[in-house]
Amino acid sequence: MRSRTVALVVGSIVVAVVVQTTLFGRLRLITPDLVMLLCIMLAMTRMRSEAVLAASFLSGLMVDLLGSSLLGLRAIVFAAVAFIALRTADRADIGRAIMAVWAGGLTMMGVLLIIVIGTVFGEASLLGAGAGSRLIWVPVANLILAALFAPLFVRLVDRDRTAFRYL
Amino acid sequence: MVTRPSRDRSLPTFISLVVLGILLMTFDVRLQGEGVVQVLRSGTQAVVAPLQKAAAFVVNPVADVIDSMSNVVALREENEVLRAELAEAEADLVAVQDQIARLELFEQLYALDSDIPVLGRTVANVIGRPDPSDASIIIDKGTSEGIVVGQPVIDTNGYVVGTVRSVSLGTATVVPITAGREAITVLVGSQVGIVTPQVFSSEMSLTIDMRLEVFDAREPVLAGDRVVTSSVSSSYPAGLPVGVIVFDAVPSTNSLTAVVRPFVDPDRLRLVVVLAWPPDPLASTDTTTTTVPATTTSTTGEG
Repeated sequence: MRSRTVALVVGSIVVAVVVQTTLFGRLRLITPDLVMLLCIMLAMTRMRSEAVLAASFLSGLMVDLLGSSLLGLRAIVFAAVAFIALRTADRADIGRAIMAVWAGGLTMMGVLLIIVIGTVFGEASLLGAGAGSRLIWVPVANLILAALFAPLFVRLVDRDRTAFRYL
Repeated sequence: MVTRPSRDRSLPTFISLVVLGILLMTFDVRLQGEGVVQVLRSGTQAVVAPLQKAAAFVVNPVADVIDSMSNVVALREENEVLRAELAEAEADLVAVQDQIARLELFEQLYALDSDIPVLGRTVANVIGRPDPSDASIIIDKGTSEGIVVGQPVIDTNGYVVGTVRSVSLGTATVVPITAGREAITVLVGSQVGIVTPQVFSSEMSLTIDMRLEVFDAREPVLAGDRVVTSSVSSSYPAGLPVGVIVFDAVPSTNSLTAVVRPFVDPDRLRLVVVLAWPPDPLASTDTTTTTVPATTTSTTGEG
């Protein structure tokens, strides 16, 4: 059962990275951050906190290695987002809409952290054309995807058909 | 309700990961992306590249349709502008034919040889980007097609895009000049300077233009002046168009600072050309060969 969960999480991360870099790397409309959303959704599962943080860190590291920005930037940000998500998941578990807004809020915090930390370390291009629209549209896209897919994802990972059944 | 074990070690784990992340960032800054970091990037790309290519094969037609539908009006306008430019370029070509014929005659008469090396070119499709916040682009050619880290990349109009940052067997990551950390040595008129990415704020919007600095300025630069790569540059061949001066600028105590708007918008790129630069040092020093033979491995774009 544990190996199944690990395989599901690893597979989800790889799929999220591939879809993020190909489909949403081409589209200039609303572009979500699938990998960050995945880290937020992992925090809603029954996985151990340390495992969620480690998975988030490693997925961020994977995105860093595939890109050109500083190694470790997204690893830190995704781990921070996952940590806040772990600490606030209980408060978000009262309805689909609240959960979606919570995921969108965490995503906005994550995008802001990427811009701030990246700029501090010399990544001036993060604070450029599109920074403002990224701060709005990436969280909106993640909010929509969380509302649609987060409960299903949690049920799959936890193997609990009753999880996150909102009325 | 999500429940957690009472002995929650999330805070110490988080702190450890943050410290590790900061160490990695510092490491990357110190190594400037070379060494172990380069190996890790290439290895990760090698693992993910086949999946990206397979996904791009399915995704690109869908993305093209969505892009086209959302940009119909702009595409029509762009089409009209391009038609006009094509007509103008064809007229210029006719005018230049006579001069080309005369040049060839003089070359034959005086046994002149062109010593301009012909660079190998590899055409590649842009298949995606790593992240919404990352300006770099991923192309579908890699070491199997002769792509090497550091090679310059231009668009189909010959304008500078950036350089290859990391490469795997089948893909490569290109960092645009607007997102790179290195300066580019350029020529504006007869003055040599450097351009670096810079964030400028203008009327409530932030733009990534480039900052031109000339340290031995003798004359002003004017809005509209063309900025090209310099022969002094080690990253690019000479003469590649980089951008255009945005505002007039005059020298101040031998130095001059100006704003350059790059020609290329990386967000709109679909095809790029990777140049085999620098050329093979053995071929370029061989005195019995007058020109480096073109090793064009052009591939048409997706179709």
